[in-house]
Amino acid sequence: MSINLNHLFILKTNIKDETGKWLLKKFLDNHPEVQQWNLDLNDIDCVLRVVSPTLCYETIIALVNKAGFDASELV
Amino acid sequence: MLPNPAKSQKNQIPSKLSEHSLIFDFRSFFMRTRNVAKENLVREKAIEMLVKEGFENFSVNKLARECHISVATLYIYYKDKDDLIVKIAMEEFSKMTDAVIKNFDPKQDFEQGLRAQWRSRSKYYLENPLAMLFFDQLKNSSYQEKIYECSTRGFKEKMGAFVKRAVAKGELDAMPLEVFWSIAFAPLYTLIRFHHDKQSIGGKPFQLTDKLLWQTFSLVIKALKK
Repeated sequence: MSINLNHLFILKTNIKDETGKWLLKKFLDNHPEVQQWNLDLNDIDCVLRVVSPTLCYETIIALVNKAGFDASELV
Repeated sequence: MLPNPAKSQKNQIPSKLSEHSLIFDFRSFFMRTRNVAKENLVREKAIEMLVKEGFENFSVNKLARECHISVATLYIYYKDKDDLIVKIAMEEFSKMTDAVIKNFDPKQDFEQGLRAQWRSRSKYYLENPLAMLFFDQLKNSSYQEKIYECSTRGFKEKMGAFVKRAVAKGELDAMPLEVFWSIAFAPLYTLIRFHHDKQSIGGKPFQLTDKLLWQTFSLVIKALKK
């Protein structure tokens, strides 16, 4: 399994339910630079995982903010 | 005045450095030396926690804490909790089927072949007590279909060929898979469960011995063999 770590972004969010996920979906699903994304609602950090060859943490955080939520890089 | 090392370091860090630290973490964890010990630790801890706490109470965060690794490291490899459970279960299931099917010749006669199956299956489950509990848990979950479908190819074919051959040779009556399994393997798994529980019916202390194992096997053969 090969993972390009330069294209992988892992963030902590405050999106805790399906409604929040749906709100975020609108911004990420059709984003031309997002190859893949998913949100783990089962985890305390509500982890958002984004695969994109071009985006950076700042842009992804801005997209999450636009959906009405907070996000920060998970370290 | 000397700069505060922590602060100055933070100020100099471009946003990508923490990503590099992740890369380093990840490489040392999964790739650089292919840290099999760490990978095994993650798998073992995950199974232990899933068996103990159930699927509902399990989380990637808790697993990372148990393994003393960063949460982000696990999320590099696994997309989310479900992905982690499915991948670990598939690995574990493949490990079991590989162990059971290794050196198994589907062309051997029925009694000899079933004996070999009892030997390898009992060895595997006695050495991996949590595996049986984990598979039982998966059977009652929504993960089952995905895991069994992908992990049993090869295994199913070899076992199927063995049984078909026994039927063709007149060693065994044709019967539905469930009937065959209930007679051929369920008694073995019942004995192993008793052994893991250290007790049998009504709390009677129990330990599986070779004598009991092969006594049961000879009754199974009597029931199945024509």
